Amino acid sequence: MGNEHSHGSSAHSAAPNPYLEKHTTPEQTEALENRVRTLESLLIKKGLVSAETLDKMVETYENDIGPLNGAKVVARAWIDPAYKERLLKDATPAIAELGFSGLQGEHMVVVENTPSVHNLVVCTLCSCYPWPVLGLPPAWFKEAAYRSRSVVDPRGVLHDFGLTLDESVAVKVWDSSAEIRYMVLPERPAGTEGMGEEELVALVTRDAMLGVAKVESRVA
Amino acid sequence: MKLTPNRNISNTEGDAALPRKNGELVFHEAWERRAFALAVVLCEQGHYQWDEFRDHLIAEIGAADKAKAESPDTSFPGYYEHWLASFEKVLIEKGICTPDQLPSKTTK
Repeated sequence: MGNEHSHGSSAHSAAPNPYLEKHTTPEQTEALENRVRTLESLLIKKGLVSAETLDKMVETYENDIGPLNGAKVVARAWIDPAYKERLLKDATPAIAELGFSGLQGEHMVVVENTPSVHNLVVCTLCSCYPWPVLGLPPAWFKEAAYRSRSVVDPRGVLHDFGLTLDESVAVKVWDSSAEIRYMVLPERPAGTEGMGEEELVALVTRDAMLGVAKVESRVA
Repeated sequence: MKLTPNRNISNTEGDAALPRKNGELVFHEAWERRAFALAVVLCEQGHYQWDEFRDHLIAEIGAADKAKAESPDTSFPGYYEHWLASFEKVLIEKGICTPDQLPSKTTK
């Protein structure tokens, strides 16, 4: 994320987390570096860790996309009309009903795909993303090309993702902001009528919840 | 040891939650990354349970929050300083290190 955000960086996390700002002086930093280095050599000497393992471990956590909690939200909405109504009306509390929190003051808005309307989520200014429900953003979501082109040529973008929509389908683009994060409620695919909630969860992909794909009736 | 993220660690909630920006872990300096890795690797090797480490972290952060409320203008340690202190505590608690082996006495 190179360009950190001109549309309200402070509002990115409305309840400010004091631990997101760097606060150490150079002297403190040096002392902390030494402290960690000493600990590390001590533990390496004891044969408990290797430098290589430490590097790899950090990498796995930094690249971990996290759970697709959104898939559970989608599956619930498919099988429970009352839940779906609450979700589309006011998504933040509806999502919290399933135990997913972690949103820091941002509101979630869920937009529903129908046979006549297809929704696409973008963040044109940076890469605001509903991470408590969708995990980490995919690399393409942060790329300038996707961010700018989604707005002017959403059909072209969808086509590149392998999704060609009929001319009769209206495409709506939702630009995420510091305050509002969007998620798409994809259409429940035909042929899934007999499936239970858990089976349905497995069908829902991150791409479908961003609107660059449809949900298929069987796991790819 | 498996090199896949432990969900209990990744999804820690509440005051001890890992600092994240738009979902991505925030490390300000290289030592923070290193401190993160040390505590996670030893946990994943089974030297302690994540909860045991996390309880120390919650206590450290809670104490700092309380002190912060009393003197809001003072500068307080960052997340990974609390992390480091918690790590040293759990190392001693589990007998992995002795207090005199630890470097913290020089920085406190």
